Amino acid sequence: MERAVIHLNIADFAVAVETNRSPSLRGRPLIIAPEGAPRAVVYDMSDKAYQEGIRKGMPLARARRLNRNIPVLSPGFNRYEQVMKDLLKETFAFTPLVEHGSFDGHLFLDVTSSGRLFGPSADVAFRLKKIFKSTFNLDPIWSVATSKLVAKVATRLVKPQGEYIVAPGDEEAFLAPLPLHLIPGLTTADLNRLREFNLFSVSEARNLTLEQLKISFLQKAPLIYDWIRGMDPSPVRTFSETASTLSADHEFSNDTNHAGILKKTLYLMIEQICKVLRDKNLHSGETKLILSYSDGLQSASTSKRSPSTSNDMVLFKKCALLLDKAWTRRVRIRHMRLICETLCPPMVQAELFAPETRETKQAALIRAMDRIRNRFGHAAIQAGLTLTGETTSS
Amino acid sequence: MEDPGACRLYIGTSGYSYGEWVDSGFYPDGTHSSNMLDCYIKAFHAVELNYTWYQMPKAPAMERMCEKVPEHFKFSAKLTRTLTHEVQKDLWQKEVLAFRQGMEPLVRAKKLLCILIQLPPYFERSVDFRNYLAALLDELSGLPLAVEFRHDSWVNDKVFSELERRRITLVNVDEPDLPGLFPRLCAVTNPDLFYIRFHGRNAKGWRSGSMQKQFDYDYADQELKEWAERVKTELMPEAAVGGIFFNNHVRGQAPKNALRLMDLLLKKGGGKTPWNAP
Repeated sequence: MERAVIHLNIADFAVAVETNRSPSLRGRPLIIAPEGAPRAVVYDMSDKAYQEGIRKGMPLARARRLNRNIPVLSPGFNRYEQVMKDLLKETFAFTPLVEHGSFDGHLFLDVTSSGRLFGPSADVAFRLKKIFKSTFNLDPIWSVATSKLVAKVATRLVKPQGEYIVAPGDEEAFLAPLPLHLIPGLTTADLNRLREFNLFSVSEARNLTLEQLKISFLQKAPLIYDWIRGMDPSPVRTFSETASTLSADHEFSNDTNHAGILKKTLYLMIEQICKVLRDKNLHSGETKLILSYSDGLQSASTSKRSPSTSNDMVLFKKCALLLDKAWTRRVRIRHMRLICETLCPPMVQAELFAPETRETKQAALIRAMDRIRNRFGHAAIQAGLTLTGETTSS
Repeated sequence: MEDPGACRLYIGTSGYSYGEWVDSGFYPDGTHSSNMLDCYIKAFHAVELNYTWYQMPKAPAMERMCEKVPEHFKFSAKLTRTLTHEVQKDLWQKEVLAFRQGMEPLVRAKKLLCILIQLPPYFERSVDFRNYLAALLDELSGLPLAVEFRHDSWVNDKVFSELERRRITLVNVDEPDLPGLFPRLCAVTNPDLFYIRFHGRNAKGWRSGSMQKQFDYDYADQELKEWAERVKTELMPEAAVGGIFFNNHVRGQAPKNALRLMDLLLKKGGGKTPWNAP
């Protein structure tokens, strides 16, 4: 049978989180952007600010020229992440198949198989909306459809408030009159190309055969052909609690592009994560570093660590390369996040007469440091790297 | 209206799109959600639309739905929750307009059995709620209406007289014997239409907060026989049309019980089909 996919979308998520902290801002135009940064761009804005012409990614200076009276708040990425985690907890009560964006208030749930337990999908969506509203004072738009694509179009259609149930079998008719820009996956370049052919709505684009689409869109043509017919077999990507991750964050009190401070902070974050890994007898496989610049832009770099490790120094060597890779701009950095994924137990079978290497010496040193810290506190002993440079605070 | 044979019955279920009805055998194995209505119309001639409670009905979707069913088929559509459960003082009249627009294709196609106004359990017979209900019925005038109360304070002759005066149907409900709930009655307030909703008698699950527990009930044959008798003797002689819907959807119990009631009514009718069979 067809899938039942729910899309929950908290419109202007960052604004909604911030106005919950400062209720006096509710109903007013509001911009979320890093203040004080010379080339800051708008990270998010309220609906009222949108009506004033403010858009995501717009330079803050330009937004201010449009209306100087709109208050500007700095983004709090940690807060957004925490709220997303809280929302996720509620959704797991209904299905383990939940996919979420990165702190953006978007959640997809596949409830195809949970109908026998929790009832019709529309009722599950409605109940989640009520839970989000009563528990977090967040009011999501919701939709129910047979695929992520159609569900997303449906929420786009009713934004900033409302709900939409697209009946199974009704997908093609539902999409037919809509403008093409509502179809997820179509880029600006795709839309411009379609406009060149005077194609503006889904029904117009459907007149093209797959072969005709291939002339302009090559390998992407089959995808576009399916999308405009409401066909999207992509699964709701399972969030597996067993494949857990560990992460550490640091928000610089003063934005910085000082290499020493960045490396020192990175090492402290690695120490924090590796201690947890060692306590849980786990190793980290994949590592990801995300830098958030003063202007609201982010850059990320990922590395697979093979073999996996929980050794501070080994991980730092790898992460220092990640920092070099991710740090591509001259703009100062506001926030740094390190994520360790693919956690797994360490290899227990050690060699009987293994020669002493640099890594085994480091491991012995770290074990000794752990013992000292366990007894006398974390500050009792520190790596030399963390003693240099200016003091930073979270 | 003395002759029960003159009354046309529309029997069906509350909603039709349930995956578990495939498991229960009501729908053939492998039936896709998009084909469930095609299968449903082979067994029943009417359905209650639940989804109009969750979202404001949209005319294009209603039109497409009308095209999928045979001419004699009827829909009973639940009034949207923003007019019953989440009423906003300044907005509700606009919502009525939107609802009317959404219903227009059903009205035009003569496929609307009635609008089902299902009121919440906390909707007591207070001055404010009475005034709101009166205003709501005024705004919806011209449409066939049926009102379902979930609070026993509405069991009052004045209420029934007012419904009679307005030719609005009181929904007879079969639900558990719990304090505060509207009791099991057999009343006709509108000679055009009588209406029964079978919610099941699961007293334990009624206030569980889970639909799967609340409406998990399989009517015993004796319970259905008693209802068949009452329908035949007390309701059918009093109205031109009857709507009977089963809401105990869990595990396919609703279609099973609905088909059994149809069977019992057929026997009571001496073999004469009491519903508008095609």
